[in-house]
Amino acid sequence: MIVPEGILCSKSHEYLLEKENGSYNVGLTDYAVEQLGDIVFIELPEAGSHFTKGEVFATVESVKAASEIYMPVTGRIIEVNEKLVESPEILNDSPYADGWLVKIEADDAQADSGDLLEYNDYKEEIE
Amino acid sequence: MGKRTVFYQKHLELGAKIVEFGGWDMPVQYTSIIAEHKSVRNSAGLFDVSHMGQVFVSGENSLDFLQKIVPQDISKLAVNKAVYCQLPDVNGGLIDDLIIYRLEDNDYLIIVNASNIQKDYSWFLVNKADFKVTIENKSDEYSMLALQGPDACKILEKAGLNTDEQPEFFNIVMKQIKHIPLFVSRTGYTGEDGFEFIVKNEYAMDLWNILFEAGGEYHLKPIGLGARDSLRLEAALMLYGNDLNEKTTPVEAGLKWSVSVNKAEDYNGKNIITEQIKNGCPKKLIGFIMTERAIPRHEYAIYYNNEPAGVVTSGGYSPTLDKNIGMGYVDTKYNISLDSEIQIMVRNKLYKAKVVKRPFVHKNYKNSNQT
Repeated sequence: MIVPEGILCSKSHEYLLEKENGSYNVGLTDYAVEQLGDIVFIELPEAGSHFTKGEVFATVESVKAASEIYMPVTGRIIEVNEKLVESPEILNDSPYADGWLVKIEADDAQADSGDLLEYNDYKEEIE
Repeated sequence: MGKRTVFYQKHLELGAKIVEFGGWDMPVQYTSIIAEHKSVRNSAGLFDVSHMGQVFVSGENSLDFLQKIVPQDISKLAVNKAVYCQLPDVNGGLIDDLIIYRLEDNDYLIIVNASNIQKDYSWFLVNKADFKVTIENKSDEYSMLALQGPDACKILEKAGLNTDEQPEFFNIVMKQIKHIPLFVSRTGYTGEDGFEFIVKNEYAMDLWNILFEAGGEYHLKPIGLGARDSLRLEAALMLYGNDLNEKTTPVEAGLKWSVSVNKAEDYNGKNIITEQIKNGCPKKLIGFIMTERAIPRHEYAIYYNNEPAGVVTSGGYSPTLDKNIGMGYVDTKYNISLDSEIQIMVRNKLYKAKVVKRPFVHKNYKNSNQT
């Protein structure tokens, strides 16, 4: 598992990965995906919709249960990963490279990311 | 921390994820629920089901006692046979569902659900009354393993029990495998052919090792409770606590086939059960397949023509069908029947589903008279 450099993680296991000029990938950490087990269903928001930090923007269901996914920072959805709808197992196989959930344009990532952790600190926190 | 079976350390060694179930710390999965599910459908899997309870009933009034507590006619049960039963209270509501095995003329073994061991045992004592019967809860002395799947029979043969020594479907035999005395029963909870082994704790780990040694060439895998649940759901087998509870009768649960309608003896709940068989009941169990993308789950609402009509009791993804399936109760006033379109409320939205026949996946029992 290659964890991309510079990701920021929430304690509810979402990650934020800066791409270019204020756009970010939002997904679930490898730890979260491992805990969920086989993912069989993903419900994603509409592109264009706007979510506040902490709001539920997606649902990921494993064989056992449905989990709500929270926005790590406030922003607008600019793209959703449609491939996941047909093949939710991509999220198990590749949570960072191919299994990102949405791309967002953050309103003010700087201000919103104060409580997000660098990957190593996040790992320490959950262990 | 919950109770632990003899196999707890083994589960950890195998990398199992542990969850609490019915007061027990049990493996929910070792690798992947879907992979484990498919192993059982395609070859074979071994389940630790030691959390389940064993109650032995003996004495000259054993039969009379059992006749009083279940709607099934136990007088028809021959020695070495097993029968699926329910345990109704006086109002017909279900305290548990169980399997009764006749071991000898007056000796019976009852397998009960893990979370109900104490409740059932107390109920048995209440019903013992003046019957000359000894009721022993030996759940803590016994472990239980389930070997399930199309290759179960061959694996058991390799482990030392030839096919002609193996019990037929819903039969039980007392055998010895190497140095291990045990009960071998041809029952299970997956819809596949297979066996359940009831063995004293001190022999349990040896049995596990023997079975895995024998199962190597058949790719025998340990299977967790996650796949146990998805397998039983595909086979539309009831899960007590989800699909059955004290507010549900056997008739409502679609278990009329298992009730002995001509049983002469009185039993707990008989009035209500026979009345419901004759005149129908207020709710009934249905099975359904989602026709729109959504996963039905326990306690989601069922709608019919946009009106609330019932509740999902079990639901999830079916690895065999690659579809989302469920069971639940609907009010009988809606005349919901096979092929009816219903809706399931998932996160405040209604998704369409179609009522289908149960089981969802054809059962592969051997020597089967029972479906």
